Amino acid sequence: MRKNHVITLAGIMAVSAVLAAPAFAEGVTINVTTTYAGEDSNAQNFKDSVAAWEEESGNKVEDSSATSDESFKSRIITDFEAGSEPDVLFFFNGVDSNQFVEQGKVVSIDEIREVYPEYASNMKDEMLGASPVDGVNYSVPVNGYWEGLFVNKDVLNAAGVEVPTIDTTWEDFLKDCEAIKEAGYTPIAASLQEIPHYWFEYAIYNFQSPQTHNTVPESVDDEYGQAWVNGLNDIKALYEAGYFPENTLTATDAETFQLFTTDKAAFLIDGSWKIGGITEAVDDIDHFAVVNVPGKGDRKTTDEIGGLSMGYYITRKAWEDEEKRDAAVSFVSFMTSDEVVSKFSGVSATALKDGASPDVSEFNALQLSALDYTASITGICPAVQDNLSAAAREPIFADMASIVKGDVDAADAVAAVLEANAE
Amino acid sequence: MGPSIYKNKKRIWVFLAPAFAFMVVYLYYPFIQNILNSFMHIKYMGTAGGEWNSPWYKNYLTLLSDPKMRIALKNTGITIAATIIGQVGIALVLSLLVSNIERGSGFFRTVFFFPIVVSATALGLLFNLVFLYDKGMVNQFLQFAGVLNREANQLIDWKSKYPMFTMLTPVIWQYVGFYFVILLTGLAGIPEDLYEAATIDGAGRWQRVRYISLPLLRGSISTCVILAVTGALKVFDLPWTMFVNGMSNTWLTGTYMYSKVYSDVDYASAIAVVIVVIGVILSAAVNRIFGKTEDFQ
Repeated sequence: MRKNHVITLAGIMAVSAVLAAPAFAEGVTINVTTTYAGEDSNAQNFKDSVAAWEEESGNKVEDSSATSDESFKSRIITDFEAGSEPDVLFFFNGVDSNQFVEQGKVVSIDEIREVYPEYASNMKDEMLGASPVDGVNYSVPVNGYWEGLFVNKDVLNAAGVEVPTIDTTWEDFLKDCEAIKEAGYTPIAASLQEIPHYWFEYAIYNFQSPQTHNTVPESVDDEYGQAWVNGLNDIKALYEAGYFPENTLTATDAETFQLFTTDKAAFLIDGSWKIGGITEAVDDIDHFAVVNVPGKGDRKTTDEIGGLSMGYYITRKAWEDEEKRDAAVSFVSFMTSDEVVSKFSGVSATALKDGASPDVSEFNALQLSALDYTASITGICPAVQDNLSAAAREPIFADMASIVKGDVDAADAVAAVLEANAE
Repeated sequence: MGPSIYKNKKRIWVFLAPAFAFMVVYLYYPFIQNILNSFMHIKYMGTAGGEWNSPWYKNYLTLLSDPKMRIALKNTGITIAATIIGQVGIALVLSLLVSNIERGSGFFRTVFFFPIVVSATALGLLFNLVFLYDKGMVNQFLQFAGVLNREANQLIDWKSKYPMFTMLTPVIWQYVGFYFVILLTGLAGIPEDLYEAATIDGAGRWQRVRYISLPLLRGSISTCVILAVTGALKVFDLPWTMFVNGMSNTWLTGTYMYSKVYSDVDYASAIAVVIVVIGVILSAAVNRIFGKTEDFQ
């Protein structure tokens, strides 16, 4: 009898718990994936903004954000293929998004506006970042990016080298690298096996101009193809000169970044998102700055890489879920409001109609130097790699080690990229 | 009930059917589909093949001239040899030693088996730190021992200079315990009478191992070698964690297949078919070499 009572009581409690559960449930939980993670400058801003939206809306966010790299891109594509895509996605608006755009797995801004007319109305439509597939806007950007040359001033001082200015040429830069190397430091912190794309962009930019850089060559022999070959050969020359870390072909980006922040390497080309990572990693941010990447040929030192390459997508899966649709729209609207975008933008461009208004009084020395850097820019162009699919990028990015070691000819690598891109 | 359960075979089929259906749906159907995929053009991962390749065996022709596939096959061959000698060989020595001690065999069984319960990814990250260029354990030890010049901060880039050694060391280390337990169990199944009789006949310790343990362990060794060979063919997680994208030409068939999955799906399918074919051929060869599969009859 006693056993039966216990079982009956347990049964009643279990049923009560199940019945009572909906009474305590509040709002909706949406799955969100962004690149605001790791050393991204806005990783903390994102967490704060998510918390603010959750409090305001009563909804919840299941966040699976990760650092932006080739693995992240592959994961997103796989998630879409497997039907496990997030409800809201902050992702690239270039070729990387072609697959899920072609498959109709994200909702266009026009379609959203048919139900929510005010959606992204604070943005300039022409700057949203239309899809290469059909020229339609699917994503709402937050802040733009630029890529610049971060410098460790302590290493430069120790090597007797001045911080590069807008008058520094490529030849001056090479002399500086030699002086730094002779002083026993690593001139350039870069992992060519993991993150070769910043050097790829600027090396080929040196043989182009802001007007021509964002063009994928039609053949390896045309003007653009030759620029790519020459750029890759310049990276090979830097490698052969010993300006990259000794283990650049096996090190991770985290390892080479550590060389830069622990006063072992002088230069680092990276994006505006790295400001937060550097600030967190070093004791005295006053010893760091960001300057223009020294130019060569037609590219002036003040011609830089930058643009608005990412934005928030609402997936078809969330849009067709009546419970999640409102929450997804509300979340993106919140995260792309003037106030939040101003908080995120820092020293980068936005698509806001009224412009961003960041609080400069709270900027540190590196952010202030970034303001000077952006003010000096005379020409800007998006990264051309955003026009290539992951498969097309592979012969150069995954094989940079073979190119710089001379196992693969730069012209052959470019030809392989163009062949893969044509498929 | 009683013995009648064995007469009515229908009941057995009822219990076997779910497992059989599961295998058909989740193993044999995808495998056959994978073979078909290797002859088709597939644009994106997860999408159906649209049309047949031209010629239909195009991917297999490409495999023949693909330098990375050649590297992957060569490295996989080295890995197979290293796993047979390193994993099964070391496990055999350890199991023979442990079977000869009267106390503490349980302790060694646990200690040697322990790496198996750690995930390969975690081990990969661990050995990344062991072989780290700057401040890695091995380089620090070599500086401490005076092999490398500490004052000049002389370092070895293990992943660049000795890539296969760096990759295979943790792979071998991880699975020694697995084969050790299989062989130790095999040794435990050998009747003690045989050793006693041999001892009475004047056989020494080495002779007992040579003429009793090893011949009667043939089946267990054969199983271990087959598992080692097929395991080496598909090893992926630990090498990928340490040598992402086949850095320093460390491609294995498993890692090369994975690297192609997102960029060239049908080509990756062809590599998968090759892995299976090689696995089947090598398993049959091992079976043939070892002959009998029973420990003793």
